[in-house]
Amino acid sequence: MEEADTDESTAADRPWVVIVWNDPINLMSYVAFVLQKLFGYSAEKANELMLDVHHKGKAVVANGNREEAEMHVFRLHEHSLWATMEHDE
Amino acid sequence: MWRRVRRVADRDFIAPVEATDDGWRLNIDDDARVLLVRLLDELKTLLTSDENDATRPLLHRLFPPAFQDDPDKEAEYQRLMREELVASRVAAVDSVSRLIGPDGPELLTETETMAFMQSVNAIRLVLGTMLDITDDESADGADEEDSPEHHLYAYLGWILEWTVRSLSAG
Repeated sequence: MEEADTDESTAADRPWVVIVWNDPINLMSYVAFVLQKLFGYSAEKANELMLDVHHKGKAVVANGNREEAEMHVFRLHEHSLWATMEHDE
Repeated sequence: MWRRVRRVADRDFIAPVEATDDGWRLNIDDDARVLLVRLLDELKTLLTSDENDATRPLLHRLFPPAFQDDPDKEAEYQRLMREELVASRVAAVDSVSRLIGPDGPELLTETETMAFMQSVNAIRLVLGTMLDITDDESADGADEEDSPEHHLYAYLGWILEWTVRSLSAG
């Protein structure tokens, strides 16, 4: 029991990462602009992340606790970006 | 993702969206405004419709999963956030329909222009899904297709590109 509790606690405490996935419809300029606006990234940083999404298929664009990650995902979905979240490995 | 590479050669060219000292101006004629309002109306109908075989792929793209490998967490996320996401999108659609309609203002604020950008992008996303644009190759070829839907898809991309540029410059 103790061991299970510890595992659960460790999993819950682990930070979450927010991932944006490549898609063929969203414009590259639009994706970079949204990342800049939502996360306050510089144009250079947003462009770098956008290119990672484009060339590698995905990029981690933010991290945080579950509540923060869910809010990031929600805002990305509001802007029609394909975003998911998962535990940081 | 899709990169627009067309260059503007005409010196008399007027961008469809431009930043001014006092706000953002939409240089879009009445026919195009009527078309956009109609498309926004169709988007609103889709946003508030039930899932069926016809709407499922379109709604899936408008409401993508947040948790890919965890059905329980995904169900909880959809239960908590889906309604809020629908409400947010519908509010944006209503607002943009008013802003670009006959009684809309001459200039938009940054927030209004952002809402315009999001709504145009949502329409384009649905249209691209309907046109089965599923990879970068088919996206690259979309401009070359000759159907009215492909023309509309390219037109929305053009407006969107200029909206992003104007917001970046503003």
